[in-house]
Amino acid sequence: MSAPEKLSDVEPRFFSRAQWIAFLVPTLVLALLLPLLNAFLPAEHFLRPSDFTLNLYGKYATYAVLALGVDLLWGYLGILSLGQALFFALGGYAFGMHLLLMIGKDGQYKSDLPDYMVFLGYKELPAHWAPFHSFPFAAFAALWVPALLAFVFGWLAFRSRVKGVYLSILTQALTYAAALLFFRNDFGFGGNNGFTDFKRVLGAELSSPDTRRWLYFASIVLLALVFLLYRWLTRAKFGHLMQAIRDGENRVLFSGYATARYKLFVFVLVAAVTGIAGALYVPQVGIINPSEMTPEKSIEAVVWVAVGGRGTLIGPILGALFVNALKSWATRAAPELWLYILGGLFVGVVLLLPGGLVSIPGKIKALVARLRRPPASPASPEPAA
Amino acid sequence: MAHPILQAEEVTKTYDGFRAINKLNFYLFPGELRTVIGPNGAGKSTFFDLLTGRAKPDVGTIKYATSDAAPSLDLTALNEYEIQRLGIGRKFQTPSVFAEHTVFTNLVLSLKGPRGVFSSLFHRLDSEQRDRIDALLKLVRLDGKRASKAGLLSHGEKQWLEIAMLLASEPRVLLVDEPAAGMTDEETHRTGELLLSLRGKHSIVVVEHDMTFVKQISEGGQVTVLHQGSVLCEGKFDEVQSDPQVRAVYLGRGKH
Amino acid sequence: MPRFLAFIILALVSGFGALRADDAAPDSGRALLVAAVLAPAKDQPAAVRALVGVEDSAITPVLNAWRAGELYLVVLADGTRVPATLATAATHVPSAAPDQLVALSVATGSPIMDPASSATPAAPLFFAPKQLKPIDTTAPLRRAMRDVLEVAGVADPDPKIRRESIERLGQSRKLEHLPLLKARLNVEKVSVVRTALAESIAFIQLADAEESTRLAAIASLGDAHSLAAAARFKEALAATPAPSAAEAEAMRGALRQIEGHWQVVNFFGNLFRGLSAGSVLLLIALGLAITFGLMGVINMAHGELMVVGAYATFVTQNIFVSFFGAGSTAFHFYFIAALPVAFISAALVGLVIERGIIQFLYKRPLESLLATWGVSLALQQTFRLIFGPANVQINAPSWLQGGATVFDVAFAYNRLFVIGFAILVVLGVWLVLNRTPLGLLVRAVMQNRQMASCIGVRTTRVNMMTFAFGSGLAGLAGACLSQLGNVGPSMGQLHIIDAFMVVVSGGVGNVLGTVIAALGIGTVDQILQPVLGAVMGKILVLFAIILFLQWRPGGLFPTRSRSLD
Repeated sequence: MSAPEKLSDVEPRFFSRAQWIAFLVPTLVLALLLPLLNAFLPAEHFLRPSDFTLNLYGKYATYAVLALGVDLLWGYLGILSLGQALFFALGGYAFGMHLLLMIGKDGQYKSDLPDYMVFLGYKELPAHWAPFHSFPFAAFAALWVPALLAFVFGWLAFRSRVKGVYLSILTQALTYAAALLFFRNDFGFGGNNGFTDFKRVLGAELSSPDTRRWLYFASIVLLALVFLLYRWLTRAKFGHLMQAIRDGENRVLFSGYATARYKLFVFVLVAAVTGIAGALYVPQVGIINPSEMTPEKSIEAVVWVAVGGRGTLIGPILGALFVNALKSWATRAAPELWLYILGGLFVGVVLLLPGGLVSIPGKIKALVARLRRPPASPASPEPAA
Repeated sequence: MAHPILQAEEVTKTYDGFRAINKLNFYLFPGELRTVIGPNGAGKSTFFDLLTGRAKPDVGTIKYATSDAAPSLDLTALNEYEIQRLGIGRKFQTPSVFAEHTVFTNLVLSLKGPRGVFSSLFHRLDSEQRDRIDALLKLVRLDGKRASKAGLLSHGEKQWLEIAMLLASEPRVLLVDEPAAGMTDEETHRTGELLLSLRGKHSIVVVEHDMTFVKQISEGGQVTVLHQGSVLCEGKFDEVQSDPQVRAVYLGRGKH
Repeated sequence: MPRFLAFIILALVSGFGALRADDAAPDSGRALLVAAVLAPAKDQPAAVRALVGVEDSAITPVLNAWRAGELYLVVLADGTRVPATLATAATHVPSAAPDQLVALSVATGSPIMDPASSATPAAPLFFAPKQLKPIDTTAPLRRAMRDVLEVAGVADPDPKIRRESIERLGQSRKLEHLPLLKARLNVEKVSVVRTALAESIAFIQLADAEESTRLAAIASLGDAHSLAAAARFKEALAATPAPSAAEAEAMRGALRQIEGHWQVVNFFGNLFRGLSAGSVLLLIALGLAITFGLMGVINMAHGELMVVGAYATFVTQNIFVSFFGAGSTAFHFYFIAALPVAFISAALVGLVIERGIIQFLYKRPLESLLATWGVSLALQQTFRLIFGPANVQINAPSWLQGGATVFDVAFAYNRLFVIGFAILVVLGVWLVLNRTPLGLLVRAVMQNRQMASCIGVRTTRVNMMTFAFGSGLAGLAGACLSQLGNVGPSMGQLHIIDAFMVVVSGGVGNVLGTVIAALGIGTVDQILQPVLGAVMGKILVLFAIILFLQWRPGGLFPTRSRSLD
């Protein structure tokens, strides 16, 4: 008895035709249809997504990119990083520096300097801020700053073969240390309050619906591109190797693969991608501060993945959407219950639904199949194997 | 006389005060099939660990010949994947395969070829490699299970798969740890045939407990007896078997 | 009696000996005060000056009142004149009207009673402020009072006040105070006050006309390691005109001596604070080392179990307050009772977590991390709902307040206690793990769960007990922390990452490694903090640990295994 050879197992195709449709339709609807409806339908039309909704979805899209990164590391490579929000926030800070400079003299103090610098008594802009006047520089910094930190940390950690929970704890310590640093006023990034009161990006007013539509559009496109990139990474030999490292790193090592380099590559790539998502997040929510890089934030991103279903690429997106929608509902409806709900999600998904939301259809299918199949004998519905 | 391909001299390895390997001297010659026997705790697995970079000796040298010249490359300075890439492959005592992957993928990942990050990203199987995998699957009689998850194979099948993975990487030196464990007599015999057929092309070290199997694969070759981390004696199977010292520490304990 | 003798000797030596033998009562200060008030105006300054060197804590307040015009002469019905200060009636007779004030007799310090009153106890006489006239003062009298007040503290019965005022006199550098200080040195018994006296005398002698006296004073200040003197010497060395060559040389020598001494003292002070910080870390990390190290379970709620212990201490304190009262002797032992309460309550919560969640996750460490994080969120919210979001007030028992100074190094009692307690807990843990049947079972299960259950160990029970034990230790840590810092709902989060770092760098599952790592990290942190500030110090320690793991990935004492993964 041998299972028939599945082509997908040998050399998986990128997408089947059905998968292309399943990918393109929602992407086009989200990226094009919704902003068009928002722009051209009259305000009270029932089909028109509100500005608020669009903004919210844009934020969720950046969260989904963060979640995809957590999942690529955890679900595919076996690295549970509790510091991914750090990379997200670093990207946000890098781009936030640009946005802050773009306020120009429109700040509270009518100074060339950002408000908090005036408040702290700076006389002139610190030299390392100067290049952030340039949009391309800041956008690129949102990518390489997180990537550089990930490279240094990852190089040290993977080289010495720190793994499993030890690595998780180290990543947590890293983001904790970074948050402590950013909370300090004299670190020079606005301390507690971070950056806020942004006015414009690329010359466009941030408050205008048009700018917001473009930001939303960019977030959806980013999510779609990242999905494709990660899909490409997780298939074929590289994907198999990632999963092999997850399941038994030593065996991969003895097969001649420098596993540390594979891990470092993915870790740095994910940090860069996550940084870009952070850069898009900041203009949409209008603020970036150190609370975005606390260990709590990172672990929250992990629960999105766990809830959605790790080891799949659709799970993290669903999870980010579901948990955040739940959060914005709960923090309004029952704020004192939110931590119980979040805690319950952690416990519940780990104990009851390890496969996450995406595993539910499969479970239902299995249940239906079992119900349909007539029991072998009335006395023992489940015969022993 | 030819130069050895692998040479370990005066190697000592201590774990928490316990001398797992004690002033071991070992020479493997090109094309040789060497059988290593020894009672439990004699240091056989630790010896393999030292050869493959999993452990570093406290003192002593382990050298490897990348050409026909005398061994000159210091293996103790290299790590696991570097040693593997030099052509020293290992099969583990407990079968160690990629359990979540199919049999086929296990072999894809083991095929000789570039191991870098980017080559894996842009990797495509060519028809030659495909044929090679097919041939290996036939050799170990797993072609019917190529799409099964490796973790679902029986113990013996996993052993076969791991041997196939080892062969797929086309090593110059094969370190084979208890290949026959969990196999039927018939399968064991076939493993022995396979190993014998690899003689000459590869240099092979086999660690084994099963004396029938040892007898089979050591025909004409050398047997090394390890005891308390050092070589107790070396010679043909019959010589070793009749050695009173060996009988005392190993064979005499009721096995034969 | 010694006080009286001291008083006599002081009086004789100091030359202010116009004392009457019949006044030699324990409250002779009060008697002298009364005499001074009643003396004719021209004799008053001298009478006041007679108070110098008299040990009585009444002198300062009464003279202060006199100077401020708040000392009154009450003439009783029988014509007796009684000097008195006024106290508000409210403090004595709650029901009295605001203008009914009680007069406190200077002679006795107690209220002047109404002789006509038949009530028992007798009711005090009441006065309205307008009824009484303050006793006048003259300029010479006020000068005399000021001079007396300036040195009154030198003879105060409280050694602490004595020491402070002696130091103040030393700082004043007035040669006129020398006789008084020298006289006091002859009678002073308390050693810290004697040290202060010697130092102050030397300090004043720095301004002496004789160079030999000055040199001797410099030398003795150097010997006394006086920090104030060090500042003074630096000032003098930089000043123009410069001191004489011999003096400058002596000052430099003394400076070296003083600074060297304080370097040593600071080193030991930091070491002590580092040890105590390390002990706190150790207490937190020990429980973690057991649940994380031995059981391989990542308990992110460990910090919250600690908070359970801290709140248990808080509740115990409140129970003691309501049963025994806040100031009672029994109250000060609440902390002893709180320790077992903290241990048991945290252990019970731990038991619930183990049964409810962790028992299903022994083979999935990363997921146990997530689930226990969820538990920690829920626990934090529970603390907030029960005890409120703000920190709760925990009062240290009297025996944990204050500290001792040995060779100028300050040892706070609460820190000493933490160190001692940590030693006891480490010993206890070691004994439990190595000398009890439970410990044997624990180690057996930790090494090979399946094998242990095969030979009949009830692994479920052992897991439960071990986890509860580790949790209980967290509770003890929380009880201890409640004596050192704030207790609030998010207190656990502050310490958990440090504790994890300790366990990771100590080598997982190794008590000795945990001890060394905790003390090491605590001490390094403490030494870095004054130099770099609290946050930078912490960050540096975190990075140091990451770098340390490069060198020893398995921690200080790695556990080895022969299996492939």
